[in-house]
Amino acid sequence: MSAAGSSGVGSDDSAPKPALGIDPEALASCVACGLCLPHCPTFRATGEEWASPRGRINAMRQVQDHGAPVDRTFLAAMDTCVQCRGCEPACPSGVPFGSMMEAVQAAAARGGRRGWRRWGFRILGRRRLLNFASRLLAVAQRLRLVPSKRLGLPRIPLAQRRLRASGHDVWLFTGCVMDAWQRSVHAAVKRVVESTGTGVALPGAGGGCCGALSRHAGLEDHARLLAVRTMAALPGDAPILVDSAGCGAALKEYGELLGTPEAEAFSARVSDVHEWLAQHAERLPPPSGSSRPPTVAVHDPCHLRHVQRVHQSVAEVLARYAIVVPLDDDGLCCGAGGAYAAMQPELAASIRARKLSAIERGGADIVASANPGCTIHLANAGVGVRHPLEIVDEVLEYER
Amino acid sequence: MAGPSSPALDSFAAAVAADGLVAVEGGRTHWEIGGLCPAETRLVRAPAGVRSFDPAEMTVRVGAGTLVEELDAALAEAGQRANLPVAANATVGGVLAVGRDGLHALGRGRLRDALLEAVYASDEGRLVKAGGPTVKNVSGFDLCRLLVGSLGTLGLVGEVVLRTWPRPAAGIWMAGQCAPRELRRRLYWPSSILWDGRTSWVHLEGHEPDVEAEASLARSLGCETVDGPPPLPDFRVPAGALDAQAPDARKPRGRFVVQVGTGTAYVSAPGPAPDPDPAVVVLHRRLKAQFDPRGRLNPGRDPLAAA
Amino acid sequence: MRFPRAKEHDPLVADLKRALAPDRVRSAPLERSIMSRDASIFEGGRAGPVCFPLSTEEVQRCVQTAGRHGRAVVPRGAGTGLAGGAVPLEAPVVVVTTKMNRLLSVDADRRMAWVQPGMINLDLSRAVAAHGLHFAPDPSSQQVCSLGGNVGTNAGGPHCLAHGVTSAHVLAVEVVLMSGEAVVLGDPRGFAPGLDLRGAYVGSEGMLGVTTAVAVRLTPNPPTVQTLLLAFDSVDAAAQTVSAVVADGIVPAAIEMMDNNIIRAVEEFVGAGFPTEAAAVVIAEVDGLPGGVAAEAGRVAELAAARGASVRWAADEQERALLWKGRKSAFGAIARIKPDYYLHDTVVPRTRLAEIMNRVYEIVEDHGLLVMNVFHAGDGNLHPMLLFDRREPGVMARVHAAGAAIIEASLAVGGVLSGEHGIGIEKRDFMPQMFSEDDLDAQARLRRAFDPDEMANPGKVLPLGASCAEVNALGQAPEGVWG
Repeated sequence: MSAAGSSGVGSDDSAPKPALGIDPEALASCVACGLCLPHCPTFRATGEEWASPRGRINAMRQVQDHGAPVDRTFLAAMDTCVQCRGCEPACPSGVPFGSMMEAVQAAAARGGRRGWRRWGFRILGRRRLLNFASRLLAVAQRLRLVPSKRLGLPRIPLAQRRLRASGHDVWLFTGCVMDAWQRSVHAAVKRVVESTGTGVALPGAGGGCCGALSRHAGLEDHARLLAVRTMAALPGDAPILVDSAGCGAALKEYGELLGTPEAEAFSARVSDVHEWLAQHAERLPPPSGSSRPPTVAVHDPCHLRHVQRVHQSVAEVLARYAIVVPLDDDGLCCGAGGAYAAMQPELAASIRARKLSAIERGGADIVASANPGCTIHLANAGVGVRHPLEIVDEVLEYER
Repeated sequence: MAGPSSPALDSFAAAVAADGLVAVEGGRTHWEIGGLCPAETRLVRAPAGVRSFDPAEMTVRVGAGTLVEELDAALAEAGQRANLPVAANATVGGVLAVGRDGLHALGRGRLRDALLEAVYASDEGRLVKAGGPTVKNVSGFDLCRLLVGSLGTLGLVGEVVLRTWPRPAAGIWMAGQCAPRELRRRLYWPSSILWDGRTSWVHLEGHEPDVEAEASLARSLGCETVDGPPPLPDFRVPAGALDAQAPDARKPRGRFVVQVGTGTAYVSAPGPAPDPDPAVVVLHRRLKAQFDPRGRLNPGRDPLAAA
Repeated sequence: MRFPRAKEHDPLVADLKRALAPDRVRSAPLERSIMSRDASIFEGGRAGPVCFPLSTEEVQRCVQTAGRHGRAVVPRGAGTGLAGGAVPLEAPVVVVTTKMNRLLSVDADRRMAWVQPGMINLDLSRAVAAHGLHFAPDPSSQQVCSLGGNVGTNAGGPHCLAHGVTSAHVLAVEVVLMSGEAVVLGDPRGFAPGLDLRGAYVGSEGMLGVTTAVAVRLTPNPPTVQTLLLAFDSVDAAAQTVSAVVADGIVPAAIEMMDNNIIRAVEEFVGAGFPTEAAAVVIAEVDGLPGGVAAEAGRVAELAAARGASVRWAADEQERALLWKGRKSAFGAIARIKPDYYLHDTVVPRTRLAEIMNRVYEIVEDHGLLVMNVFHAGDGNLHPMLLFDRREPGVMARVHAAGAAIIEASLAVGGVLSGEHGIGIEKRDFMPQMFSEDDLDAQARLRRAFDPDEMANPGKVLPLGASCAEVNALGQAPEGVWG
């Protein structure tokens, strides 16, 4: 990362040439062919070039190469990016758009533009504080003190049952918000993993937030701090299974984030839980065939499809227990994007509208999503969404 | 670069350049279409003959005054054909100027797409090249499309380059009482479907086994092999004129044949044509004013009135 | 790079915002500069206010407002053009049609549909797939390019060999003329009396008006498709095979050729299973009824084998899709070798392919550049890609010179300037090499019949001086256009 950022990026009348700290080779690698445009959810929603990867790269070049100011227009172009990275597999030139956008976000954060998020994301790293705050939120929801719909919040449980470790074969990463709000998903995932005869260990203290949201907002120091803590909470050589696509992607990128051999080794242990189950499919209990399998549309979370690129494994695992209906929208983002749905509610909703019509065309009973953010975002629009392994768990339960 | 030229083209251009009203005469198969030229109009003839034909290139350069039958015979020797309707006495330039599709436009494509390059004499008698000799070309505006069906009112075409196609091994006409819509839906690529209100005709062509298979499909829809298509009534109208919702006053009377897939119907007694969009009329007027400001070329003819 | 100064109270912007909606007119310097480029290599563009209309009426209001302020109008679709046709010169009002992206109606029986100009080419084919139909022109950018842009450039694609380019698939267009009037050219049923204004409009690169709706012809999906991958030891043998196929009276649905450089680049990117040691591969596709497909595919394989090719038959739809993915990824795959490319587009007579390919290699070597060839061999449409890094000093001059030499060589064997990308800025000044003054004057007349004041996309296609128009405001090619 370039060190030039802090002075230039903050103000519109930047004195010296503002550097965004984007790798010049990466910035030069876009040939402006435009093949990314249809794969960009914000371009699809707006039809406007500044809301496309090509337009955003063009804007980055104006600033970094040609000295254009970092003004409101520039920041709007950057902040409306969901960071779904759907453009990356579509790019024949292999432009590393995600890391370029992270560099821009980091530069913006250095320029002091991330005030409340800097504070807000801190909570995610503190499990007790988060659980306490969640409990408060849950009560407030029951008392109708919070406009949950407008804020894009799910119904938060008042109390959750504790998870208990069942062995040491694999770790199940539990995360922050997901553990506070959707622990029942972890429970289901754990049961499915255990059904393969595998003992599941749970992270100790400090194994909370993966740091993805901080990193996407450019708060890299905080992201690094959380990464170190997470690594410490998941020691040893056992595989680390993650049931949240966003967290999984973040854990797999620790090597790149921290740049240490330990981090590389840690990242190599990480698998999305479906990826791991697909590799151990022979150990999964067979469906009895006595019940009617549910019809499931699989929504591919961006961080599973575009970043981890293992989205096929969800359908592979599900297909053993359900009739899988493909969506015909080329895996376009649903608009959840971590904190995006809260930060850019209007765009997030128009992006979601496109996904909803694809879901409707598919005509499935239920939608499976392997990422809590997507689940919450889609559920807010009235879609029946479950974690894929919740669906599997239910089928298995029925068979027992 | 210098313009296209040959002695025949040069003398054609010189003939057009001379003073007064001038029209190009082909085989007079549709001489009255779009209006008649005043009696004092001088008539010129475009050069005739195939100038070059390389079967491996599948294009042919031919004088506009060449008989279509003669061109067809020359191409047939190499197992090829151009997508022009073949009729006795009709010339290549005449067929293009009139712009009527052949019967097989549904399968073989529209007449307007057959023309790759045209060399025409302008109102000042200058030779102008439109388009280019290759099968694909987007160099500049597409004047060729504008020339097809222009009744020689924008320029007098002297020479053209046409795309050629392989002549299929087999072809048959069939007819029956089934709906043309059904034929179109069920058959993959019929080269022609005609309908006179009761009977449908269909032409199938291609490789022998495919034609046989498609023919048996057509038979299952009630069609039988026949000698050929029905004779077409004289006047061409947009097929929409026959629609149920077309106003009665404009409905054609008498016999009609609809050419499915081209938006065209042929009728024996057309009703009055609907008034074209005034904006379209203005564009016609402006084009004529740009290409033939003195109104010398094929005077009295109006492409908009070419029924 | 020049940045247009944002006027605080630009009356044009204010009027446009009134005519449209405040959030659908963009005028910040950054937004304009983003719109000053398309997918071409041209950098000298300068956009004025950028408008995003939703309807024909709104386009009319944009055009009228621009006209009142004496400002030209540049229509823009997805911005994937390679000849700079959508690059705005001298700060015109840019009318972007991407928000007008709806399928208006489909008539499956008549095999036609009305679409808005911003609809993406591939989206249309997908939307009508349930009827067993598709839109035949399939440019390599089909997943992103818009139908309005396809109409503007008379776009082609691999499958235009048998079924014709865009013009043959456009039944009618609704156009907003520079007077602000909307007019339908052609007829959605297929026959409009009078001159073929539709045909004159298609391929006019935004210089006759702004397309606001298109009636497209839809093509039935073929019942049988056979795709062959032919691998050759020499480019000559590949080119001769293409000529031989055509001479044999076969019109395949597509015949595409790729040379060794591009084969290797693509293999690294998609892994389509192309033989990386082959000097050239040809993808040949035959479609239609089973009898013809079997006969013609067999004949193509025979002709290729006779010229030393190894022949691979695509076994299923998956393998076929993979081969095509390899072909269609070519343009970007090369960026893994050099960051910039200049994709050329000329057409030569098909029988001269081998000869011209060798000439292209010579030219490129003379100019110290790297070239990759991937092109529509069936219709002689060459696409040499010159690879370079624009940060290398002096490289643009060599790229330009090599491009000029390729054009000259193509014209010398009886070819044309462009097969499908159009003229735009790129080849505007080469037009006199293909056309005489009289020829160009005729094209300028067509333009003036539609747009007497030359307010639609000025500075493109016609070289300066081709129009009898007294003074051309542009002077000459804007500085920096060639980087």
